[in-house]
Amino acid sequence: MQSRMVELETRNQDPQGDHGPQERNYILSLHDVLMKKSILNYNGGCVVAMKGKNCVAIACDLRFGVQAQTISTDFKRVFELGPHLYIGLPGLATDTQTVLQRLQFRIKMYEMREGRRLKPHTLMAMMQNLLYERRFGPYFVEPVIAGLDPNTKEPYICALDLIGCACEPADFVVSGTCSESLYGMCETTWQEDMEPEDLFECISQSLVNAFDRDALSGWGAVVHIIEQDKVTTRTLKCRQD
Amino acid sequence: MRKMVFKRILSCRVNVSVVYSPASHREFSHYSLSLSLQLSYTVSRAADMDLQCLIGMKFNDFVLMATDMSQLQRIMVQKSDDDKMYQLSSHLVMAVAGEAGDTTQFAEYIAKNIQLYKMRNGYELSPSAAVHFTRHTLATHLRSREPYTVNLLMGGYDPKTDAAELFYMDFLGASVPVNFYGFGYGGMFTLSITDREYRPDMTEDEAYELMKKCISEVKRRFIVNLPKFRVRLISKDGLKDLPVIVAEGEAA
Amino acid sequence: MALESLHGVERYQHKWNEVQEEAALPEIGNFTNQYQLMMPPLPKAECQVGEYLVDETGRKMKLNYAHGTTTLGFKFKGGAVLAVDSRATSGQYIGSGNVRKIIEISPYLLGTMAGGAADCTYWNRVLAKQCRIYELRNRERISVAAASKLLANMVYQYKGYGLSMGVMVAGWDKKGAGLYYVDSDGNRMPGNVFSVGSGSLYAYGVLDSGYRWDMTDEEAYELGRRAIYHATHRDAYSGGIVRVYHIKEGGWVRISEQDSKDLHYAYAEGKTTTQ
Repeated sequence: MQSRMVELETRNQDPQGDHGPQERNYILSLHDVLMKKSILNYNGGCVVAMKGKNCVAIACDLRFGVQAQTISTDFKRVFELGPHLYIGLPGLATDTQTVLQRLQFRIKMYEMREGRRLKPHTLMAMMQNLLYERRFGPYFVEPVIAGLDPNTKEPYICALDLIGCACEPADFVVSGTCSESLYGMCETTWQEDMEPEDLFECISQSLVNAFDRDALSGWGAVVHIIEQDKVTTRTLKCRQD
Repeated sequence: MRKMVFKRILSCRVNVSVVYSPASHREFSHYSLSLSLQLSYTVSRAADMDLQCLIGMKFNDFVLMATDMSQLQRIMVQKSDDDKMYQLSSHLVMAVAGEAGDTTQFAEYIAKNIQLYKMRNGYELSPSAAVHFTRHTLATHLRSREPYTVNLLMGGYDPKTDAAELFYMDFLGASVPVNFYGFGYGGMFTLSITDREYRPDMTEDEAYELMKKCISEVKRRFIVNLPKFRVRLISKDGLKDLPVIVAEGEAA
Repeated sequence: MALESLHGVERYQHKWNEVQEEAALPEIGNFTNQYQLMMPPLPKAECQVGEYLVDETGRKMKLNYAHGTTTLGFKFKGGAVLAVDSRATSGQYIGSGNVRKIIEISPYLLGTMAGGAADCTYWNRVLAKQCRIYELRNRERISVAAASKLLANMVYQYKGYGLSMGVMVAGWDKKGAGLYYVDSDGNRMPGNVFSVGSGSLYAYGVLDSGYRWDMTDEEAYELGRRAIYHATHRDAYSGGIVRVYHIKEGGWVRISEQDSKDLHYAYAEGKTTTQ
């Protein structure tokens, strides 16, 4: 479902043309892509979101690094955009910051013009537009949205790829450098209609155990549990290696 | 318009750690490139600036910055009293490492715009606002045809909030507040020393001694000759030049 | 041994499929002779196996071995200390967090692993065998210098074929504590302070600034432990358990094996964790 545009592009290009075999050494070779050495993994980091009973949870790790080097362990990549609306922006850190700033601008414009709160589903559409605007030179982020609908209070989660293809499943979404491990953890631990406390346990265990198998993410985690009447934010004590 | 030139494609793998090798400078022109290629290309150019060394440390009421004084040109030291720090406002300093040309051009562009802001509005940008402006400029240029290849450490003191501030910013435009950081391969040797010994309540003398320790480690282990470091202190009284640190001891 | 050589089994023939004038030898491979490894079926110039493979479009692919590691060793007045992390990675995936990167060659000799995990374990095991044979033949223990030279000569035979290892051999012999660095390029050097692996830059920072010859044993353990811990914190490809060994007159002693998570929170509280 999620297209991997960058990788396809690099695969199809042959920038060196007729140079000898020695020089046909690709910037992001097929192997680099398979080994996930794309620019999306340059800074590390991951985000996961889950649905519960009348609540949603979204969590991220806290590492900001440059390849192997860990630089900050307090880099949040999940942001509050409204009372019940959060977005996670894992990927290239510069684009995490750029996309967040551009998105906040658009949300403010929307809310001023419309005089009402943004629905999670509308945020998804807004995000699709923002990302597809750069279809031919994308932002290297794969956003995750979690929130409650301001009118119906329905839980909502969704994940987008870097050019805006959305995916709105009924259970959980994952994104970032350890998405494979996260899928494995979430598939086994997620259950229907979890209460907020169970949801917290489930998402925390999934995230921590997934990024403990990933060299490029971890170093702490933040979990937001979004309920109708409150949002609980917890910072997890994690391995620091 | 600058002609798009690809050099050192061979070292372009994002994960390659390049120890400086002039032989791998290959230049050939290239007609079109996707953004991801361009970004990766920019990543590869980072190899050059990794030879330079910027160190910054933030304490409770001052920031200490040190930059090496060697201007490197391919395989030689062209100048040994270089100043890689630029004053942006009364309480803000930007240390810059990067491609020759990009460093001065970018630093002066930022500095002049921050001064212009002060002239227009009658008050200075706070350090965090200046960092925001710098990041925005860098990130915008990243997606143009002429990205700036510069790594920055921005250290300042906000007289309004009475807080010392230090920001890491890399050439991609990722900006993160840090307590201390060292750019370049030289900086890597200093990180664990600061991890080990840093306390936010250090005095100016203790901080200077810590900086000396870091610089002698750079001299001991780093293959490139960076013997002298210019040191500046930014506090509520503005900028102060501290004595140049000449690394002690022998190379390992 | 004697019977085998009577039957024409060459024990020290190198490189299994090298062309032989009289190719009538039974193919026993490295079952009895560990030096007899199958060579890549390519001319030497083309077979930088460890460096590259070629994918279906002719592009070079970098083989991804477990390179991420931090190991260190140093000599001081009380002998030698080795300290290592325990993370094994393939790419960014953490394959194991509980690897033993210090290999116990003999009660007086230790080797550390950095680089290809398989390369290091294999050649350290061969070295262990050779050291034991030396001991049986000569009725005395092998010196650290000799042991490291054996290892260096073994791997040098395969230079250019892509072995990837950076090993420290440490031990105690007649001259006291010995510490050698040996790698797959053919380097072999004695020294007082070494650190090998992706996190070695960070380890060196702590190690160099805290190293003194006249440290006490406890100070030495703590220095090694701290250096590895700081490397695990900064380097994404190092982590897991911090193991510290001490080599002294009576042979090596395992000092501590601590989770770097526990170390982190203990150090954060300002405690020094000597056991």
